Amino acid sequence: MVSTARKIKKPLLKRSTGDKLFSGILVLPAVVITFIFIIVPIIDSVIKSFLDFRVKNIISNQPGTWNNFENYIKLFQNQKLTGAVINTFSFVIFVVALQFIFGMILALILNSNIKGARFLRSIMMTPWVVPTIISALIWMWIFQPQYGLMKYLVQVFTGGTVADFAILNNPSTALLGIGIAALWKQVPLTTLLLLAGLQNVPDDMLEAARIDGAGKVRTFFSIVLPYMKSVINVSMTMAIISNFKQFPLIWTMTGGGPDNSTTTLAILSYREAFVSNNMGSGAAVTTVWMLLMLVVVFVYNKLMGETEVD
Amino acid sequence: MKKFLSLLLVVVMSLSIVACNKTPGTTSPSPTGQGDNKESVTIKFANYAILETGYEEFWNSVKEGFEKKYDHITIEWVTAPYGEIVNQVINMAGGGDKVDIMFAEIGWTPTLEDAGLAVPVDTILTEEFLSDFYPSILDAASIDGKVYALPMYVSPYVLYYNKDLFEKAGLDPNSPPKTYDEMLEMAEKLSKLTTEDGNKVYAFGQTTASVPISGSSLTSMVYNFGGRVLNEEGKLDVDTKEFKDAMEMLKLLDEKGYNPQNAKLKDLRNLFALGQLAMYYDQSWGFNGVSSINPDAKNFTASAAPLAGGNGTGESVIEAHTLVLMDNGEKQKEAVRLLVEYLVTPEVLNDYLADITPAYPARQSMKDIEAVVNSSVLKGAANSLDKARPTPFIPAMNDLNLELTTLAQAITVGGKDIDTAIEEFKTAANALID
Repeated sequence: MVSTARKIKKPLLKRSTGDKLFSGILVLPAVVITFIFIIVPIIDSVIKSFLDFRVKNIISNQPGTWNNFENYIKLFQNQKLTGAVINTFSFVIFVVALQFIFGMILALILNSNIKGARFLRSIMMTPWVVPTIISALIWMWIFQPQYGLMKYLVQVFTGGTVADFAILNNPSTALLGIGIAALWKQVPLTTLLLLAGLQNVPDDMLEAARIDGAGKVRTFFSIVLPYMKSVINVSMTMAIISNFKQFPLIWTMTGGGPDNSTTTLAILSYREAFVSNNMGSGAAVTTVWMLLMLVVVFVYNKLMGETEVD
Repeated sequence: MKKFLSLLLVVVMSLSIVACNKTPGTTSPSPTGQGDNKESVTIKFANYAILETGYEEFWNSVKEGFEKKYDHITIEWVTAPYGEIVNQVINMAGGGDKVDIMFAEIGWTPTLEDAGLAVPVDTILTEEFLSDFYPSILDAASIDGKVYALPMYVSPYVLYYNKDLFEKAGLDPNSPPKTYDEMLEMAEKLSKLTTEDGNKVYAFGQTTASVPISGSSLTSMVYNFGGRVLNEEGKLDVDTKEFKDAMEMLKLLDEKGYNPQNAKLKDLRNLFALGQLAMYYDQSWGFNGVSSINPDAKNFTASAAPLAGGNGTGESVIEAHTLVLMDNGEKQKEAVRLLVEYLVTPEVLNDYLADITPAYPARQSMKDIEAVVNSSVLKGAANSLDKARPTPFIPAMNDLNLELTTLAQAITVGGKDIDTAIEEFKTAANALID
């Protein structure tokens, strides 16, 4: 007779410990890859920002030499950094604020069951799928000062009064021109994310608000927005980061000009590292840039975190 | 069991990533690493022109002809757009993959030398071959007395003008301006013209956009006035009346609306091709850009020597398309020598200079080739090369050129006072030079 009382083996680890270990092992490749491909290059870049390190050092495999903070001193002395910081913040604030407003308006329209919403949603995504360089070239053509479409339209709508409209040629409007191109490209994704958030607002809460006599505006600010907080948080953080590091659009459309009016930290970093071939100086800009971005994202998250849903 | 399978999957995927990162060259044998005297050699030739309309056919015919003549040598193109090719070559070298030869603008020479890539051409080419090149042209590609790029052909900044527009404005199409004062008088008449569809005609084009070549063109304009940007020691030399005269002219051209604002050379070529620009400065081979937009442009295009302004005599900078050579060992160097000696010859370059890239040969023995003697486009500026001067090289040449464009933009579209803008330029430029 076979004994039915099979011995139950005692597990090697407790179930909870085993689960944690298993999770840890699953996460390990991602952690290792992040460390190798993100953390190590960041540390390497920060170290190089204190060195005289040029292209020839890379090619001849020679280490850089310590240069007594000269990369940072030069950056602050020639006032390029200040201008680049102001331009970067102006660009980010302008684009992100309008991106949110336009994205929300479009999301509300698409969420209101208007006719052809699905078609509009597909068409609306077109700018997002166009490569950034192509977007830049399209907008350069639109803004072209001698034969551009915008010049023609402005001329027509002003009855010929404004015949030399050239948004990218004027230092006080060039950043605005790039901002318009950035909005055209980025608003679709924001709209899509916000639309997803809108569709997750519970109907019963909206119904309750309606029964309680709340108007559309009150419902939007007291019910819809608080429920969308996490989606808004993610989409705006993405927008801040992507505009903080915006490079191809600006480099292609203006190259940082005219008169440095569109030289952002991304452009300055590229010029130092790949035009002047001074990797150390480029790394110094990148380090300042990274610190500023961390501060901005931290402050933004802090602000968003403080407004809890009641 | 599920956990075990999941773990196995993770391990396999991790190993796959490691395997994918392995450099391909580590296991495969070098294609040039075997054989005897006539062993096969592959030359890596970095060439942006392969990607440009009008040039591709010529360069592919060079490859075909050379490989037919030397059947053990193969040319492998390394390409990137014009604005990216220098970084492409530098990045490849940083990764241990150095090209053997590069088709380059003369202005890229200091960057490639500073990066430790360009080698003196006399370490690869023979003295006999080099002795045929104009010494002044070799000087233009020299750093500390050593020639780091071999000019294939050269050009000053030529003044191209539209004969039809001159006639339309009541000007003699065979008497282009010789000085800036003459140009301003003609510009007044030319700027009153419009195209058939009512578009404005710009009188005079001087590029000022934020690209290094515009800075080089602005340097040439300073030379027109007898000034310079750098002295022989490579230090800034802009506290001169001549430099300020050039900037004042630039501002005047902008105020009068003669010069298309903040335009790249390709914008000027476009406007010129469409009959919306009466005169403009360009390298002689810029005409290829014009004729690719409007094939009929040759019927109305003529050239003239650079203008003289202020105390100047109409000097200009020497521009050249060059071959930058790199050292990848004796076998590669020998193959590169054969390629250069094949390429820079009248047999190969005549049709190219006649039909594609109007320019002046860098070799003395080629001075009377048909392409130059019979060039209707180059005829008017034939003697201007005599007044062309080399520019001193500094490693941050490209950035210095960008700073010059910033100065030009500051006094034109930026509306800044000239003295203030020059002071700002000096601060930025000195930081690069020091």
